[in-house]
Amino acid sequence: MIDKGSADAVEIERIVDAPAALVWQMWTDPEHFKAWYGPDGATIPVAKMDVRVGGTRLVCMEVQTPNGPMRMWFTGEYREVVENERLIYTESISDENGHVPAPSDMGMPEGHPTTTEVRVELRDIGGRTKMVMTHVGIPHDSPGAAGWAMALGKLTAYIAAYSDR
Amino acid sequence: MTATIDEDRLSETFAALANSTRRAILARLAEGGATVNELAEPFEMTLPAISKHIKVLERAGLVVRGQRAQYRPCALDPAPLEEVSAWAERYRPVWEARFDRMDDYLKQLQATKAGKGND
Repeated sequence: MIDKGSADAVEIERIVDAPAALVWQMWTDPEHFKAWYGPDGATIPVAKMDVRVGGTRLVCMEVQTPNGPMRMWFTGEYREVVENERLIYTESISDENGHVPAPSDMGMPEGHPTTTEVRVELRDIGGRTKMVMTHVGIPHDSPGAAGWAMALGKLTAYIAAYSDR
Repeated sequence: MTATIDEDRLSETFAALANSTRRAILARLAEGGATVNELAEPFEMTLPAISKHIKVLERAGLVVRGQRAQYRPCALDPAPLEEVSAWAERYRPVWEARFDRMDDYLKQLQATKAGKGND
C-alpha cells in the first residue's frame, strides 16, 4: 500500500497525446485549466493566474450540495516557471481574497504545515508529452520541513516493512 | 486501498508529530523498542519532560508501552501513521480523474482545430 517516495507525496506519470506547448497551456491558461481541473461534479468559476516566479494564483472550486452551491478557495504562489517544461506552485486553503487562515484557526497545532506544493514536469516525446505531476504535502522550504522529511522518510520505511509482515 | 480516515484521529496524529522532539523519539523507536531512560539519552531534557512527550505519543496511539516489566518499554505503533500515508494517497484518485478529463478535453480541442484546418 505504500507507494515509492515519501508518505506525504503523490506522484503521477502520464503520457498525454498533445504537444508540450499545449499541455503547458492546460496548466497556465485559466480558460483551459477550468475545463479539466474541477473534481467530478465541481466547476471552477474563478481561476486567476499570474504565471511568473513569485506571482500568485487564486482558484475557486464550486460544488453542488443539497444545501446549495458551496465554494472553496485556494491560493498559492508560483515557485518555478520554465515554459513548456516545468511548473511549481504552492497551494493553501484561503478565502476569496486569498487570505490563508492560521493553522490554529483550522483546529491544527501551530507549526502544522498548511501549504502543499504541486510540481509539473513536461517532456516532449515526438509530438506527445510525458507529464509527471508530484503533489507534496510539505514543501521543502516550509518551516520545519527538513525535520518532517527526515522523520517521515524513516517512518515510511518502517511502515513499509510493517505492512509486509 | 479503502482505508477510511478518521479526521479527529488524523488531527491528533499530526498534533503529536508537530514537535521535533516527538518526531525524533518516533524515529528512534522505528529502530526498535526502548525504555524511557534510553529515549531520554540523546536529549538535554529531564526525564519528566521526556515522559510528557511520550504520553502525548501514547494518547495519539503512536506509542504503546509494555504493561508487565517495571520499566515499561516503549514501542512504535505505526497504525496512525498509515492513516497519514492514506491522507496523501487520497489525492491520487482526484488527480487521476482530473487527468482523464484533461485527455478528453484535449481530444475535443484538437478535433475542433483539425476540423477548422480542413475547411
